[in-house]
Amino acid sequence: MNPGKGGWLILLTVIIGMFLGVVHVPETWPNWLGILRPDWLLLILFFWVIELPHRIGLIAVWLLGFAVDTLQASALGTHGLILASVTYIAWRFFERLRMYSVLQQCGVILLLVFTSEVVQIFVASIGSERDWGWELVTVPLMSMLAWPFVYLVLLRLRTGLRVE
Amino acid sequence: MALATLSCLLITIESSTRMLEPMRGALSTLVSPIYLIAESPYLLSNSLGDLASSHSQLRDENQALRRKILELSQISQQYVTLKAENDRLRGLLGSQGRLPYEVLIAELVGVVPNPNTLQIIIDKGTDAGVHIGQAVLDAQGLFGQVVEIGQYTSRVLLVSDADHAVPVQINRNGVRSIAGGTGEVDRLELENIPVSADIVEGDLVETSGLGGRFPAGYPVGVVHSVVVEPTSTYAEVLVRPSALLDRSRHVLVIFKPSGPVDTAEVNSQ
Repeated sequence: MNPGKGGWLILLTVIIGMFLGVVHVPETWPNWLGILRPDWLLLILFFWVIELPHRIGLIAVWLLGFAVDTLQASALGTHGLILASVTYIAWRFFERLRMYSVLQQCGVILLLVFTSEVVQIFVASIGSERDWGWELVTVPLMSMLAWPFVYLVLLRLRTGLRVE
Repeated sequence: MALATLSCLLITIESSTRMLEPMRGALSTLVSPIYLIAESPYLLSNSLGDLASSHSQLRDENQALRRKILELSQISQQYVTLKAENDRLRGLLGSQGRLPYEVLIAELVGVVPNPNTLQIIIDKGTDAGVHIGQAVLDAQGLFGQVVEIGQYTSRVLLVSDADHAVPVQINRNGVRSIAGGTGEVDRLELENIPVSADIVEGDLVETSGLGGRFPAGYPVGVVHSVVVEPTSTYAEVLVRPSALLDRSRHVLVIFKPSGPVDTAEVNSQ
């Protein structure tokens, strides 16, 4: 994520992803709407890794995880583990993933986000009595539905601004 | 691979000890602008609402506030007499008078997005002297406690979060218990209440001050229902929190005079 050659765009979209992760509906709306939030940051990172694998550093992503942990009030290291794993998987198979149709990519997203949710629930259950509910199903589904839009918007931005 | 191992190690340390708190604090200073930006539409609409309100609206509001001040000052006059009487009686009993608490007004600047947890971000941090474990109130009652501090913001765990518990007593008769959160914003549960306990619907539940973390005598909620299952050992007592946990935008952070409540009382004179 070094700046120059459009690295600022990568950084900006990542920050937007973090921002979309915390922005919320008015308090008068029901609380459970929160489980319909796609995992924006993971989608954005996934896009950049399969498009520009040489621009995304594993350690940078891992450190980014700390910021996300603080935002989401999860145990430090949780999102580092998740994001770094997703980056590694995407980086390992980026040629194949890039050739996939958007539908196939949606399937991959579904699997990745589902795994990410399982890891989060597991980590949270170590030191907490909180109940865990539908987000295990809804977040992967919503992320899958959001992927084509994220993909199109970011692709437009990438080609328009010539980020390489 | 190494990163994954390191992550697991960190997660273990984080969930079993409190060693990483300074690190969390530094990180939250770093990321708090993101919360501020995310909350800005609500902050803005509040201040715009103030700007846009008309002259007559302001006059009405002003009048209502004046009436409120009159009412409150009448109550506080009574309070002064009661306080003096209470101190005198306490003196007769040989115990010391209670010290007043100082408060800091803070504004909500963010909500933790995870739907399973009830936590908010307020706009006062170490710069304002906030520290971990302080009780937070709103105008109606106990709101929560500070669990993480950054330089300009801190994170508050609400009383109804499933991981939160507060020592309480029934205002009417002093029956002690612990009010645990349920994870639902408008519901607390009194733990381990024997079926024979004298608790009825409508009882006021207040902090007991035991444990020294929360100051004594602040309202926590009102008993909403008492269900006694014939087969169970304990009664199921649900409490509706007094604080407007999902509405209040302004809260009070409580500063203790010095040390835990009981020692402060002993050392006061």
